[in-house]
Amino acid sequence: MSVQEATARLGHRVPMFELATYDPVKGDFGTFSMAGQIEKKRWTVLFFYPADFTFV
Amino acid sequence: MGCDVVTVSTDTHFVHLAWQRCEKELAAVKYPMAADPTRDVSRMFGVYDENTGLALRGTFMIDPEGTLLNSEVNFYNLGRNIDELLRKFKANLYMKRKTNEVCPSKWKDEGDRTLVNPGAKMVGKVHEALEEALQGA
Repeated sequence: MSVQEATARLGHRVPMFELATYDPVKGDFGTFSMAGQIEKKRWTVLFFYPADFTFV
Repeated sequence: MGCDVVTVSTDTHFVHLAWQRCEKELAAVKYPMAADPTRDVSRMFGVYDENTGLALRGTFMIDPEGTLLNSEVNFYNLGRNIDELLRKFKANLYMKRKTNEVCPSKWKDEGDRTLVNPGAKMVGKVHEALEEALQGA
């Protein structure tokens, strides 16, 4: 993943970033791109949780 | 609802795959599971806990222009209320279209009355405006 040194703040554009993903629908790995979401004009909900194999 | 949900933890995408295939509760999961092993994005959103190396339970809503409109962070021991998250997401969608309206705390869905034009006229009159909105609901 790559990221600019920055902080997300309410009411501001979030910094651009990319993350490797596992996509259960495709059963394959992929990439989530913040820039791609803006390009596609999509709403995004980021849902952070502590760890796999635990309660979410 | 025209929105992409992406889950994020500090596990790798390989572990996400293993967990999703092993845990029956996750059989129906449709959203991509993102990996933040460097913790960079967790730090960016202020959810990284250095004491444990894990990300706290943070939920962030970002509009199609990339603006962060909502943030909620719970500590490890408090679960998220999906109804409240949906309420906030619906409110954000609604206010995106109705830019002169604000959704008060009891707003639930399209059709509920909102506070229109929270300008000079409403200063000191929020009580009356809320009464009126509730009566109209």
